[in-house]
Amino acid sequence: MNTKNSEAGEGKERAGDVIVETISRLMVPFIQLFALYVIIHGAGGPGGGFQGGVIFGASFVLLVIAFGIVNAGDRFPEGANTAFMSLGVYIYAGVGLLCIIFSRGAAQFLNYGFIPLTTHFEENRALGMDLVEIGIGITVMAVVTSIFFNLAWKREPEEGGEEE
Amino acid sequence: MKLISLSALLFVIFLGVLFIYVAEDIPDFGDPYSAPNRYIKLFSMDAAGLEDNLNKGVVPEVLTSELKAIGFRDDELPLRVEPIKEGEWEAIIIPEEKEQDFYPKEQKYYFIKKEGAKLDVYRYALIKRYVEEGHHETEVPNMVTYILADYRGYDTLGETTVIFTAGVAVMLLLRRREKRPE
Repeated sequence: MNTKNSEAGEGKERAGDVIVETISRLMVPFIQLFALYVIIHGAGGPGGGFQGGVIFGASFVLLVIAFGIVNAGDRFPEGANTAFMSLGVYIYAGVGLLCIIFSRGAAQFLNYGFIPLTTHFEENRALGMDLVEIGIGITVMAVVTSIFFNLAWKREPEEGGEEE
Repeated sequence: MKLISLSALLFVIFLGVLFIYVAEDIPDFGDPYSAPNRYIKLFSMDAAGLEDNLNKGVVPEVLTSELKAIGFRDDELPLRVEPIKEGEWEAIIIPEEKEQDFYPKEQKYYFIKKEGAKLDVYRYALIKRYVEEGHHETEVPNMVTYILADYRGYDTLGETTVIFTAGVAVMLLLRRREKRPE
């Protein structure tokens, strides 16, 4: 019930500017591609999981600003966002755990060289670092989006309550 | 609902056991063998007659015995010396190859410099190791990334957890979508 009310209010408030919607619809895929580039190239140049995750989250923030919270919220459901938040940390800790599992308890936690991805110890470390960066990126992206969604959602039910 | 809370409890216990297993590998505070607790300048000794030996690559007896007296292990004593330039040398060790070791290879470990009539013996600092050996050891050209994600992996795992906790806290405090039926 409550969401329907706010959806109606949202529709009245938002004029639906064609320019803003079109430009942001065009921009968002490129922002997300750039975010993936920053995450993947964290090993080779400037960048990394934290930066790339924040850029990815910014693309969702742009969606919310352009299309309104309800329409954008449908595109990126809250439950999946919450799952992603913990998934990133699990990827990080899981990569660390894989080192213990593959070396049968001989290696330390987070000693990436012992994951048998390739035959070279050093290459394994580089690839393990990439996996860890992806985990960081997923967590940061989900947390930034979630914080923005929660702050933006909060105002609407309160205003509705005041009007009544 | 009861099944969910029971499985959550089991999962928390599992995580606790895992943490205890992992925490055993972390070196104690004040452990003299953990790398950051090593001195950077070790001692100085008389240069008389040692310089020619050092230039030839021979390790002088005095150096070995002094290092042993400080408390370095047997596999940390220098095996050979390489001159860098006039009055500066590097001493190289090969640590014992154990499965636990991160870097079972040749390492630059000591640095010897001539100061007047004395020879100062330094141990390479950890920072120097990161800068010089990191690319070689991890095959990642970006120094920031390999320090952040590999050498300081525990630290970054903690940072990610902090961000996760911030997200959960905001969610708990601000998420009020549906009014309760009461």
